[in-house]
Amino acid sequence: MIRLTKVELRRLTARRLTLIGVAGLFLITALLLVATWFDARPLSAAEQQQAERQFQLAHKDWVDNAAENRAQCEADWKTQPDPKPTVDDMCSYPEPKLEDFGKPPTVFAQVMPGLLQGSSYILAFAAFLIGAGFVGAEFSSGAIGNWLTFEPRRLRVYGSKLLAAATGFVPIAAVVLAIVLLGTFLIVDHPGDTAGTTRKTWGDLSAIGGRAVLTTALAAALGSVVGLLLRHTAAAIGLVMAYLVLAEGVFAAFLEKAQPWLVKVNFDAFVRHDAQYYVTQCKTGSDGSYVCDYVPKTLSFEHGAWYLAILAVLAIVLGGWVFHRRDVN
Amino acid sequence: MSDVAISTRGLRKTYRTRRGRKVVAVHGLDLDVPTGGVHGFLGPNGSGKTTSIRMLLGLVRSDAGTMTVFGKTVPAQLPEVVGRVGAIVESPKFFPAFTGRKNLELLAEAIGAPRTRVSEVLEQTSLGERGNDRFRSYSLGMKQRLAIAATLLKQPDLLIFDEPTNGLDPAGIREIRETMRGLGDQGKTVLVSSHILAEVEQVADTVSIIGHGRLLAAGTVAEVIGGSTTPTVKVAIGNHETAARILTAAGMTVRTDGKYLLVEGAPDPADVTRRLAHQELYVSELVPVRADLESVFLELTEGEGL
Repeated sequence: MIRLTKVELRRLTARRLTLIGVAGLFLITALLLVATWFDARPLSAAEQQQAERQFQLAHKDWVDNAAENRAQCEADWKTQPDPKPTVDDMCSYPEPKLEDFGKPPTVFAQVMPGLLQGSSYILAFAAFLIGAGFVGAEFSSGAIGNWLTFEPRRLRVYGSKLLAAATGFVPIAAVVLAIVLLGTFLIVDHPGDTAGTTRKTWGDLSAIGGRAVLTTALAAALGSVVGLLLRHTAAAIGLVMAYLVLAEGVFAAFLEKAQPWLVKVNFDAFVRHDAQYYVTQCKTGSDGSYVCDYVPKTLSFEHGAWYLAILAVLAIVLGGWVFHRRDVN
Repeated sequence: MSDVAISTRGLRKTYRTRRGRKVVAVHGLDLDVPTGGVHGFLGPNGSGKTTSIRMLLGLVRSDAGTMTVFGKTVPAQLPEVVGRVGAIVESPKFFPAFTGRKNLELLAEAIGAPRTRVSEVLEQTSLGERGNDRFRSYSLGMKQRLAIAATLLKQPDLLIFDEPTNGLDPAGIREIRETMRGLGDQGKTVLVSSHILAEVEQVADTVSIIGHGRLLAAGTVAEVIGGSTTPTVKVAIGNHETAARILTAAGMTVRTDGKYLLVEGAPDPADVTRRLAHQELYVSELVPVRADLESVFLELTEGEGL
């Protein structure tokens, strides 16, 4: 099994699609860092002067009119029927501050989890496609038949392919995420704010990165299973696209309460350690009006972890059963 | 060592078409391939040769029957003997974007063969110079040779070639034939499936003929052809009618085929010339008609409703 896995790893790393895919991943990583730099860079002198002018105008307006505006607002509030917001909520006129104008500084601890999560999507997608191609190409070329005349123990062959796809992506994902993490720190450190980056922050970010490495390995293995089941890379890509559009797009929009059973939210819950999703809740108010609100819901890390684990086990068992029984022509 | 390399009893395989119809590809096949030498596995297209080979190699599951390879039950004990079996099933299939050498290196590594063995088998199959070219750039003959090189990585005792000369030019066909004969002469068992009897006749020591998934005949080439077809000679002669009367009177069957007479049932072609010369009729041309698979197969299946 170990020998077979090594051979499969050699084949995985020698494939042109793998090399192109990994090169693409690093290119996307570089573009992500460039985008981060654009977001984090300070305003130009002219933009800064413009922001200061806007602040001075707003502050002058506040000084001249805030008291009068508040009095008028309180008078209006008194005439409004219940239910109504509190007077402080409705008639708050805080003094403008200079930092409210212009560009707020980029805070490393705030932007980094989102960047890691975004990177985990890209990594999982690439790993799935490369994994699907890795196994699908064997079936479409017919090489699997030749391979089985050298190693007829199908479950070993199956296991070695999945293991190779998964382990092959561990270092790739680790390097990509490390580049995103450290690259963003260096970019933000200059114009932005990294002062509040404590040991706990690094620990949390590392944990997100570690889980993203796991999901990448899992995506590669699942891609291999789908490639084996459909026997063609293009079919595997089609399946992913159909799922994203129909299930994550259309189905999730119409059946919001089903979101905890879709892949994306569970993926987020696992990678980010809890994730939020929104459902629409409508009710009739005391005045007879019908009001709908978006209510945030939290999907726990445990739910996401169990969901992904069960999904992976089911897919891997199904793939193994099909491969064990399938005639290879 | 067992004197039978391959044995099947009651082997059966049924496929279901896309419309749900059942098609019996192999219908209770009993096959014995003796150890050592070249064994021809003959039958027309669609007779179940490739399916039988795939079942022997564990690529296709049988519905019923038993199979043994070197005395081991397959597919259950196939891993115990697979190191002794090299096989090419239909057209050679490798990773097209990898070089021939890379394809062989992966296979060699999978079975624990030393990497030096790859160079050896490439040289053995005259692919040394093209080993670093991509498989997809190979001609059909080169692909076939690479497939043979792959089988030789294992240094097998049994080699299975399924229609190995399909699509090859005459030089390629001769090359493959010589390779198979050479392996047989080295004491290895070679099972070659084909639908061309003339091709197999030149290389095989023994043959099995199947039709519709059943064994129709088995034995040495001479036994099968001799036992299944009536000896026929083609005779060119001036006076057809008199000649036909003389030969018919001698118990032979005579038919006219253009300017020739086809004479069946002559124990020896010399018997034909002697009887005609005795009546002062002289043969200008006499050609023994060689049996081909078609005629052997048609005779074997005649009356069986196949």
